[in-house]
Amino acid sequence: MIEQIKAVLAQLGIKEYRIMESVQASIECFFVRKKLDLKRRTDLTDYDVVVFCPHEQDGEKKLGSSAVIIHPEMDTEEIRRSLQKAYHAAALVSNEYYELNAGKREEFVRADSQFAGQSLEESTRQIVEALYEADNSEKVFINSAEVFTTRTVRRIVNSRGVDVSYETYLVSGEYVVQCVEPQDVETYHHFSYHDAKLDALRQDVAEALAMTQSRAEAERAPRAGKYTILLSGKNLQEIMQYYCGRSSAGVVYQKYSNYQIGDHVQGDAIQGDALTIYMKAKEPYSDEGIAMKDRLLMENGTLKMFHGGCRYSYYLGIEPTGNYTSISVPVGSRTMEELKASPYLHIVSFSDFQMDIMTGHFGGEIRLAFLYDGEKVTPVTGGSVNGSILAVQANMLFSKERYQNDEYEGPYAVRIEGVDVAGTDQDQ
Amino acid sequence: MKVQESLFIQKKKPLLKKLLDMLLERYPYASILAEDAKSGNYSVSRKNMSVSEAKRGTSRGFVVKVSDGKHYAEYSFNQIAEQDLDDLCARIAELVESSDKVMPEGLCESEYHVPAEEKAEFCGSTDYEIDPETLGDDAILAHFVKIRDEGLAFSEKILDCQVSASYQRYTKLFWSRDRMMEQSVMWMTGLLCFVAAKGEEFKTYYRTYSNLGGAEVLSQIDADIEECAKAVLELLDSETITPGEYDCICSPEVTGMIVHEAFGHGVEMDMFVKKRALAEQYVGERVASDLVTMHDGATAAREVATYYFDDEGTMAHDTTVIDRGILKSGISDLQSALVLNTEPTGNGRRESFRRKAYTRMTNTFFEGGADTKEEMIASIRYGFLLENPKSGMEDPKNWGIQCMVNIAREIRDGRLTGKIFSPIVLTGYVPDLLKSISMMSENVYLGGSGMCGKGYKEWVKVSDGGPYIKAKIRLG
Repeated sequence: MIEQIKAVLAQLGIKEYRIMESVQASIECFFVRKKLDLKRRTDLTDYDVVVFCPHEQDGEKKLGSSAVIIHPEMDTEEIRRSLQKAYHAAALVSNEYYELNAGKREEFVRADSQFAGQSLEESTRQIVEALYEADNSEKVFINSAEVFTTRTVRRIVNSRGVDVSYETYLVSGEYVVQCVEPQDVETYHHFSYHDAKLDALRQDVAEALAMTQSRAEAERAPRAGKYTILLSGKNLQEIMQYYCGRSSAGVVYQKYSNYQIGDHVQGDAIQGDALTIYMKAKEPYSDEGIAMKDRLLMENGTLKMFHGGCRYSYYLGIEPTGNYTSISVPVGSRTMEELKASPYLHIVSFSDFQMDIMTGHFGGEIRLAFLYDGEKVTPVTGGSVNGSILAVQANMLFSKERYQNDEYEGPYAVRIEGVDVAGTDQDQ
Repeated sequence: MKVQESLFIQKKKPLLKKLLDMLLERYPYASILAEDAKSGNYSVSRKNMSVSEAKRGTSRGFVVKVSDGKHYAEYSFNQIAEQDLDDLCARIAELVESSDKVMPEGLCESEYHVPAEEKAEFCGSTDYEIDPETLGDDAILAHFVKIRDEGLAFSEKILDCQVSASYQRYTKLFWSRDRMMEQSVMWMTGLLCFVAAKGEEFKTYYRTYSNLGGAEVLSQIDADIEECAKAVLELLDSETITPGEYDCICSPEVTGMIVHEAFGHGVEMDMFVKKRALAEQYVGERVASDLVTMHDGATAAREVATYYFDDEGTMAHDTTVIDRGILKSGISDLQSALVLNTEPTGNGRRESFRRKAYTRMTNTFFEGGADTKEEMIASIRYGFLLENPKSGMEDPKNWGIQCMVNIAREIRDGRLTGKIFSPIVLTGYVPDLLKSISMMSENVYLGGSGMCGKGYKEWVKVSDGGPYIKAKIRLG
């Protein structure tokens, strides 16, 4: 169908374009307790086409674009109408001119994944087995789970010669752990892996079961006030998104960030650990067909690069990097024992932890935290955190212990002082 | 004018009938949902302009659901041809028989009986005034450029003024042994968003617009330029709130977020099936003040989540969830109703034909009361007027609230002081908040600019809202 689309583009005189073909097969399983409640399969083929229209406005060069979905069931006439409409729209869009990426036909890249050598059903079975392996108690157990195993083959071609294709596997899902005594509570977890990281999943589930047990024992909210907090795991991963988001070429170009390369983005006087962040390539090519590679984003608190696709990278005068979904961070300077040596509030689970890259605020409602008052550790629940990265980034201390998932590899935890917590007005 | 049905679906009907007949020879239950949806996005800001089809809202394909008498299976695909029907049926059969391949030892399969279906035939389309495609990309962009320029000219402190809109037009055909139902619907939404910066901190303020209909909704945007520009500039002087429990007046948008996140998700009955919803134990009990009556339904209001039947072929309802403070009913998809031995309420919705159907909200709101906004503000000795909701997360198990709000305007001795605080996290226990509602304004406003997720996926279009409410809420 790519050739059919290209033929129509040629007939319409549309010279600049990009086509992405995705062929996807998946198996989806939905469990309630240990019962398979529904099974699904998908077989889908999609064509995402972007047409570009260079033009002039007030003597300035512009490049408009418009995206359109071409369905595999479309006949030539419908394809022609869709592309013609999109091109008309592209001619109205007066964005600053930029160059598309050029390339050539590259070898198909096979997925470097254990899933590649077996059926989707077998991959699903392995993940389900790992998921339920530690579920052996009537008191704390997996209430429900969803597992999606997907194989996708993508091909990206454009009018500048780019012709790349690759295969990718992804197992993703979510599970809810329930503990019924002493209180009936639950915790929510999601996972995704490009490879069969069964041990990592087993570890996550074991921790989730233990965490939910603690959640059931938590009776009160912390008292309102300022705290030294510990954030860990996916919550620390979210904090890192502040720096990734603020250094995105699109965000910088639109002046929603005033980062410059070479800036001390963590502040001029870092008292805690200076951050180093690498952007990690999880797939061989971006959606524009840019070859993805690992890159250094910031080093010891200093910004080293911007990142983004063709358009915004061109505006900033940088090499387009593609868009990243994964980062790696070297471990910090303190052990968990050292981070926990003095009073803290370690929030292990939020309803929905958010890092707002525009305002710099982070926070959310506390589902489970461990409060250390200098003498004992008490599980607590309720209340909320509302902090500002701008106020605390110079004094963050990171753990030597690691945490890893598909999108993050780095310190397990960070210690941050002086953060507002909304809680109870009095000790209960 | 009526939304036109999809020509693609009309053309495919004979082939779909053949497929359905082949499946019904083999299975006691089979259904097909065919979907043809097209959506468009427009956006204009200082340095960016965009007109595109939206990937999430544009889809064309089919989902088959079958039962062998005990177990359900679904198959989603987007290509169908006469010569492939046998192969398609073989793939479905392989899926139905694949349970042993995906389940390790120790797990088994749920069993469901096949319910009797009432015969139904239906065909309907919703109305609109202005088709965005007829109005044209040129006209929409020109309108947005004018708004943007007026917004940017308001003050040099304004970094950006973004104007955007989305629409979706879809046709769905649900076909089973006894039901053949077809509907065509269109909705459209708009957004006006201002950005201002104070050092490293960027503040935003937005206003949203939505309707079941077409581009007629966009004419509402112009009137709000000055008010929104002023609000974002006010945010530059916002302070951090002292955490605590306060008397609050919630704007209809914030009321809507509370209704949706704090209570709506909690009465989705697929959560009852999994014993994940505290609400199950409270049906028939008081959960709110007697001022509160809450609805959910695709026919409860005319808004973005209005439709005639859900993705499982159940006609849409208007469900009274809370009646004068008493929890009356949850909302349900078909499969959950089978387990719970209740009637489905027309809330079985898919993100698209590619995804499973879950119990999902539609148009969710509180009925209005008898107070005025001015009376409500005047009644507060110290508290806040909450505006501009940002996000929320459900907690059906424990009835916790997490909502993020952009603005809290200080009220002291019955008057707004002019001081504002931002951002704000709302937390607490849902029944405490709902039982504390002591005043409600008369007029009800619904907004449908956002999407609702089940956790972090399965995005569907919803609207929510209500009147201004006065309640005690923990803020931080």
